[in-house]
Amino acid sequence: MSWLTWRQFRTQTLVAAALLAAAAVYLLITGTQLRHSYSADLITCQSPSAHYSCAGLLNGLQNDYNGALDLFALLVLAAPALVGIFWGAPLIAGELERGTYYMTWNQSVTRTRWLAVKLAAIALASIAAAGLVSLLMTWWASPLDTISGNRFGTQAFNARNVVPLGYAAFAFALGVTLGLLIRRTLPAMAATLAIFIAVQLVVTVLVRPNVMPATVTTVPINQTTMSQAVRFDRAREVTGPVTIDLPAPPGSWNLSQTPALNSAGQPIQTSEILTCWNQLISRGPVAIKGDGNPPFASLGACLAPLNLHVDITYQPADRYWPLQWIETAFYAALAALLAAFCFRRIRRLG
Amino acid sequence: MTAILEAHALGMRYGRRQALTDCTLNIPPGHVVGLVGPNGAGKSTLLKLACGLLNPTSGSIRVLGNAPGSGPEQLARVGFLAQDAPVYPHLSVADHLRLGAHLNPRWDQDFAERRVAQLDLDPTQKAGKLSGGQRAQLALTVAAGKRPELLLLDEPVASLDPLARREFLKHLMESVADNDTSVILSSHLISDLERVCDYLIVLVSSRVRLAGEVDQITAAHHRIVCTRREPDTLPAGLEVVLAEHTDRQSTFVVRTDAPLPAGDWAAESLSMEDLVLTYMETAAANPRRARQDSEVAR
Repeated sequence: MSWLTWRQFRTQTLVAAALLAAAAVYLLITGTQLRHSYSADLITCQSPSAHYSCAGLLNGLQNDYNGALDLFALLVLAAPALVGIFWGAPLIAGELERGTYYMTWNQSVTRTRWLAVKLAAIALASIAAAGLVSLLMTWWASPLDTISGNRFGTQAFNARNVVPLGYAAFAFALGVTLGLLIRRTLPAMAATLAIFIAVQLVVTVLVRPNVMPATVTTVPINQTTMSQAVRFDRAREVTGPVTIDLPAPPGSWNLSQTPALNSAGQPIQTSEILTCWNQLISRGPVAIKGDGNPPFASLGACLAPLNLHVDITYQPADRYWPLQWIETAFYAALAALLAAFCFRRIRRLG
Repeated sequence: MTAILEAHALGMRYGRRQALTDCTLNIPPGHVVGLVGPNGAGKSTLLKLACGLLNPTSGSIRVLGNAPGSGPEQLARVGFLAQDAPVYPHLSVADHLRLGAHLNPRWDQDFAERRVAQLDLDPTQKAGKLSGGQRAQLALTVAAGKRPELLLLDEPVASLDPLARREFLKHLMESVADNDTSVILSSHLISDLERVCDYLIVLVSSRVRLAGEVDQITAAHHRIVCTRREPDTLPAGLEVVLAEHTDRQSTFVVRTDAPLPAGDWAAESLSMEDLVLTYMETAAANPRRARQDSEVAR
């Protein structure tokens, strides 16, 4: 069985290995350059005679590599889907479509064993490929991830560390299962892609934020907190709510924020802060955040007596690894369920 | 000795379509069995049930004494060649033999290589580039090379030209002769099988209409031509398979296991082809009657 598996899978393995090797070489070279620039920038900006701030310099570095980062992240995100489409879907559908299962399943090997060997070998190859890509990506992007401090972003979370391994196992099992059900390779490939993307979306948007209970913190509105504010927004009507975006604790995952609330927990109306607001804009145009001179500090000082606060719902920074492992385990469990279904189904197939 | 195929009230249903109905058979070993019937009669279904590719929806089937496809040992004892002889287009002829060698404990590499040489197949040729006849021969080589006790062939010659048909059947007979392999092969044309099989099963509209050894079947059937009369005026012991009347004459095809009694009629024996066609016609004309006939025929 292992000979047949290797013989049928040989071309794909070699093609995948060649692509991976090319990607690895490119990532290693550019990744080394990125590291050099990163440490050089740090030395430059930390020297006593620095002309530039570290934030500005590293921001520039980030911008230089943004295109490459997005491209590589796309590759890491696409790898599991490709595995499902090109390795998973044709595995059984190809045999059914060409009728070759009549030959293979009538040799002295049960179909259960046939499926077990094929599933195990190619699932392992899939996970290894996704693991290698993810490892390279995690290493390559680590200086940029340190700069951005945002490990929970979709691109950063889905294309780093262990979750891609779970995605690959799931995508492969999904492809095999759909091939078995649809019995035709091309439609099975299309269905694999569609369902894989749908599951990824649902898990990323709906499941991941809620899988662990989020932390809620109450931030009072005063000069200190407002100096950190990213955005301040009043409604056009005087009865509308007031939106103040305050940063969640560093490295955490900001899920949602309430509008500005009064001490009773009710959203305040724009009319209540108009005095402070008019005071702020009377001093000239409101500067945009990013020039190192937060414009909202004085507004915060003016608002402090009103006893306002904002509730921030977030996942603390230390949830990163639990969430990575939970999601990986979830996808692995889905893959195992699909594989079990395939074993049941293939026995009753004619 | 164990029957090569033993079926009791075997039935197979695909959704709403009944592909095989109430099939009861007991085929003794050492035969080359012809399975004849029109397209869609249930021949492929019966063969797939016999190799374990399908599980019956009703009744039971045992092949060489065991449940079909029940494990590696049973799989090793039964070879199957599917309709249109599917092969792996990207694998070479030699790869197909390697496949057989790796997947079968009783694989006979000498035999397989000898056959490939006899057939003038290039071992390095991709199977996708072979002609229909060569593909069938390659698939037969893989099926026979595992040295099964029973070889099931589903319409093996349907897609072949007359010369390739003859070649294929010749090679088939050579392949099974040395090893006492039993064979069941299906076709919608009796003429394909006449020369090679010594046991016959006629399957029409999902039911077995006739089953038995060719010699016994031909000896038991007669066509009699006489003055016009009703079938029930014929002597007892004659089972009427077919009755046709003109204004003045009646023609009957009758079956009797005893010698045909003398009477005021002209009697002749039927060729296999006539006999099979007779059963197919009556089955098509009157499915219920035909079922009774087949029950007698058992």
